Amino acid sequence: MNMNSLMIITDQRRVGGMLNAVKALGGPITAAVVGPRSLADTVSAWGFERVLCLEPAQGVPAEAYSAQVAEVAAAIAPRLLLASDAASSRMLLAAAAAKLNANVIGAVRALSVDGDAIVISRSTADDKVLEDIEAAGSVAGIFSGADVDVITTQPVSVEQIAADSSTNMRLIGVVESEGGNGMLTAARVVGVGAGLAAKDDLKLIEELAAAARAEIGCSLPVCEDLRWLSEHRVIGSSHSQVSPELYIALGISGQPQHMTGVRDAKIVVAINNDPEARVFKFCNYGIIGDLYKIVPALISAFKNMNG
Amino acid sequence: MKVVVIFKWCRNPQDALVGASGNVDWPGVKMSANDDDPAVMDIAKVLAGDDEIVALTIGDGDIAWAAARGAASTVVVTDALTDVNSTATGAVLAAAIKRIEDVGVVIIGDSAWDYGIVSAFVGQLGWPAMAAVTSAELDQGSLHVTCKMGGVSHVLEIKTPVVLAVMATQTEQSEPSMKQVLMARKKPVEKITIADLGFSPNFAEVTSLRTRFPDTPPAILYDGADPASACKQLMAALHNDGVL
Ligand SMILES: Cc1cc2nc3c(=O)[nH]c(=O)nc-3n(C[C@H](O)[C@H](O)[C@H](O)COP(=O)(O)OP(=O)(O)OC[C@H]3O[C@@H](n4cnc5c(N)ncnc54)[C@H](O)[C@@H]3O)c2cc1C
Ligand SMILES: Nc1ncnc2c1ncn2[C@@H]1O[C@H](COP(=O)(O)O)[C@@H](O)[C@H]1O
Repeated sequence: MNMNSLMIITDQRRVGGMLNAVKALGGPITAAVVGPRSLADTVSAWGFERVLCLEPAQGVPAEAYSAQVAEVAAAIAPRLLLASDAASSRMLLAAAAAKLNANVIGAVRALSVDGDAIVISRSTADDKVLEDIEAAGSVAGIFSGADVDVITTQPVSVEQIAADSSTNMRLIGVVESEGGNGMLTAARVVGVGAGLAAKDDLKLIEELAAAARAEIGCSLPVCEDLRWLSEHRVIGSSHSQVSPELYIALGISGQPQHMTGVRDAKIVVAINNDPEARVFKFCNYGIIGDLYKIVPALISAFKNMNG
Repeated sequence: MKVVVIFKWCRNPQDALVGASGNVDWPGVKMSANDDDPAVMDIAKVLAGDDEIVALTIGDGDIAWAAARGAASTVVVTDALTDVNSTATGAVLAAAIKRIEDVGVVIIGDSAWDYGIVSAFVGQLGWPAMAAVTSAELDQGSLHVTCKMGGVSHVLEIKTPVVLAVMATQTEQSEPSMKQVLMARKKPVEKITIADLGFSPNFAEVTSLRTRFPDTPPAILYDGADPASACKQLMAALHNDGVL
């Protein structure tokens, strides 16, 4: 069976990871970019067989083009349709999946082929295990696996699609988060949780952040219940997603709502005095101990390193 | 214009017990509504004004859950299985919405666990839809919706009918009182079956083969009894990984 794939792209996030996963199917991969031409130009050198680009009109969100993207998908008739977990990608995938009668499968982490069937590995039971699902027909997957760097090749020419004039939705305002948000692009982030005993102790965390040249983030209770840090510092499913090289979780229990916010971090370090804390199952390194004893030692270690 | 809220009555994935071989079990796990569902109700109340909120759910959960939070009536699809397949669940929900007259806005939780159901539902219903919605209001008859997009929020003007997938940013602020719960049990409930929906799935079967542990290595843990030594080992490891 033909294993051709169509990837719906509204931003660059996870595209490398998706390409890596789709390559296991072996067939040609088409990109449908719904976004600026510059994004299509970037991905045109990433090894897609074709790159289509639909540029939304000024002030019209990508989601407004769902029906048009579904038509594109019907013309290509892919066996696999894939989009990242970005909100607009998921909504575009929805209409295309229905048009293709494809089975929608979320939390996709990896793909493979078994005979004529696609095998989708998806995260389940709160990220504790992977479930392998076999699908006979066409599949629409929502990918939330890790991103992977892409090796660029000779670009293919971008095929521009004229955007239908759509009037069902319109952007009327953009609200920036207060105080800027260096945390979103920082190479290192130190996250502080309800394990911190007093607001004054934030000084200790600030000292660590300075020594490690990191931005400070927090869990929801530190903002919502304690009001020690403002909302734009909250990391998690309902707030900011960060993708630093290094994330250090201090006194954070590691609830899924928090940990999905650091899924794209390269290395996660957890410091917690409860050896049973969930965070130790979702980190690369952990120190079991009182943060008030560990953080000063960590500050010295970073200071030594920076000479 | 009616506002329909979809709420869920399911096992919470957080409660899944995972055995030594990666098998998943649910001994005595209680069913519950979704984390996002209280925020769904809050937005529904803002948008409905004096109009009616109708709740829709699947299975045999707490039928009064939404009624206790302001829904006038509840529709339950009694015989749909909830854990089988996101596409099937989405299709059942979409078919059930199509039976309700004069619906302007459908509000659903934007899935903390698995985005599949929301996308399957939106596709099957075929209406315009926005996800990652954090608030919405009516401004002189037009619908204004705020969605989270990375580090910023977008405010959109959207024509109805529309689906809003709502993402809660906090825990439920005030649970209904016992009196509200008791009153809610008197509100009308319409029980329907898949047969009433005239629903025939037209997508291929999916089969779950197995569950297994991911092949990522377990965390390396250091004993913090000697903080300096633990930090030294940690720094060496981070160096090796090239993140320092
Ligand atoms: C709709 C909804 C959305 C949510 N969205 C988010 C979100 O986006 N982001 C988010 O973070 N949460 C979110 N939450 C909340 C989430 O469920 C958890 O409640 C929260 O992440 C817990 O924060 P915490 O780990 O800081 O606190 P706790 O769970 O209280 O953990 C504190 C930890 O500190 C440890 N500790 C205590 N003292 C010390 C010490 N001296 N040294 C070392 N360790 C110590 C304890 O062992 C414990 O593990 C959301 C919840 C809901 C319902
Ligand atoms: N079995 C179900 N019955 C009714 N609604 C559901 C069901 N599963 C999911 N939903 C809806 O889909 C949303 C997201 O669900 P989930 O993907 O499980 O987080 C929920 O907030 C519900 O509104």
